[in-house]
Amino acid sequence: MKEEVCYELYGEHISLKELGISVLVSTSFAMLFFSAAPAVSGVLGVQPAGISITLGALGATIGFAISVLISKVKRVVVEV
Amino acid sequence: MDPLSLLMVLVLSAVSTLLYIFVGILPGTDETATMAPIALTLLLAGLDPLLVLVWFIASIAAFKMADSIPVALAGIPGGVMAVPQVPDAIVAKEQGLADTILRKGIAASIVGQVVALAVTLSISYYLMPAGDWLRTADVVLGVKVARWFWLVLAGLVVLALTSRSRYVALISIPSFALLIQGLRGVYGRTIFVSFFLGITIGPMLFELLSMLHKDLRQAYARRGMKEVRLVRIGKISLNPLKILSKDELIHCSAWSAVTSILATVMSPVGLTILIGDLLRESSKDKTRGAVLAYTVRDAIKNATYIGGTLIPLLVIGEPTGPMAAGPAAPFFQKLDSIGMSPRDYIVSRYDYPTVVLMLFIATAVSFFIAYPVLVKYSRKLTLAVFRRVPAEALYGLFIAIVIMLSYYDAKLAGVFGTLVVSMVSGALWKLGVSLGVLFMTLVAAPTLVGLLTALPL
Repeated sequence: MKEEVCYELYGEHISLKELGISVLVSTSFAMLFFSAAPAVSGVLGVQPAGISITLGALGATIGFAISVLISKVKRVVVEV
Repeated sequence: MDPLSLLMVLVLSAVSTLLYIFVGILPGTDETATMAPIALTLLLAGLDPLLVLVWFIASIAAFKMADSIPVALAGIPGGVMAVPQVPDAIVAKEQGLADTILRKGIAASIVGQVVALAVTLSISYYLMPAGDWLRTADVVLGVKVARWFWLVLAGLVVLALTSRSRYVALISIPSFALLIQGLRGVYGRTIFVSFFLGITIGPMLFELLSMLHKDLRQAYARRGMKEVRLVRIGKISLNPLKILSKDELIHCSAWSAVTSILATVMSPVGLTILIGDLLRESSKDKTRGAVLAYTVRDAIKNATYIGGTLIPLLVIGEPTGPMAAGPAAPFFQKLDSIGMSPRDYIVSRYDYPTVVLMLFIATAVSFFIAYPVLVKYSRKLTLAVFRRVPAEALYGLFIAIVIMLSYYDAKLAGVFGTLVVSMVSGALWKLGVSLGVLFMTLVAAPTLVGLLTALPL
């Protein structure tokens, strides 16, 4: 099987494909939760502006957790 | 302070500490990119600005303690501020002193933050009356210019002159200010968040866009896994007073006091490099010089972040230095929800002793959690983070938060505004312009462009 080429970013080896997927997943969840603010605020009886950012950050965090599962760690730790 | 507020301070300090221990250990996490968006998110979510400041101070304590751990153990900086420590750590590691610098660095962080808090809060109390004078506006060339602007301009020029590429930095100031004001003109209102986030992710975006270019891509290509060599460490004492020598304690305390004040207008990373290099070169013994420089740099990291945030926040009321205009910038921008900036809210709604007390509690909570955790489990934590958290997931999270906040700021145009500012910032950064120059230009842009267009030339 052909080895995937990685690229160095801030001293880390990254896969552009996995980075693209992580950005897509985290952004999709962030924007989905962000957009859900008016509906959620109606249920909670608060202003949408107050919770849109909170919900968006929550969505981004869920996206991060999913990305941790779908991306591979590209470091090998050698204990010396 | 009521019991509920105290509980909130304790909980937020603890959560912030735990979060930023992990962020600090992760390699390559930029302070502005990780601290500012979260502080901004908490402010926009409606949390009391003083509680967000408590969160921020605890995050400084934890982040700056944790970011030197991968430096000591693997020679990899956990954040931008830890980069100057890499050469010192390499010298110390060659002599088998990895665990020595690890514990000295953590202890020095505590000294730096406590000394900086004591110094800056005392100085700020006596200088607060000067704030009104600094905020008074004079008319220059028909333009209203607040007096603090000259402080920003002086800091901006000093910062540009100390950039890797001083001439590019100097000519980028009016040019970048025009870009900012031009975009604001297009939007029809004073946008800040999009531009701020654009500068923050500029270097990352520039590198990513370069990877999409067929010819440039090859320079970034790597095969296989990134090898991280992690040194073993011995048993570490839990008593910080046993860790630093008298000489190191004096240097850490003195330089923390001095640099916490200088950070009002000067670059924290610049001061960390300057003082550390001075100490290293002044020692005849290469190893002793490296250990002393590493230790004092750790104290200065905390001190400059504290001073660079608190003096502009409590005295001047405007972001006069790269720290205030960078990671701490969310505290200086007007929030529609409270009708003023978080800074003005804190100063007008809380008395000084309450602010002081809360900030010391945040620091104490952070150190009581971070110090034993890091001293006891630093190696296990570093191993866990290196082995389980992919860099792609982390970068994905930050880019998602930036896109969401840019959209919140100015809808789709805000996202593209962030993109254009990012590309220009990334290119200037690549050319050797400090990001601090761009952050401070963002703050000074309205007055700078006003004066530029009023000049009879």
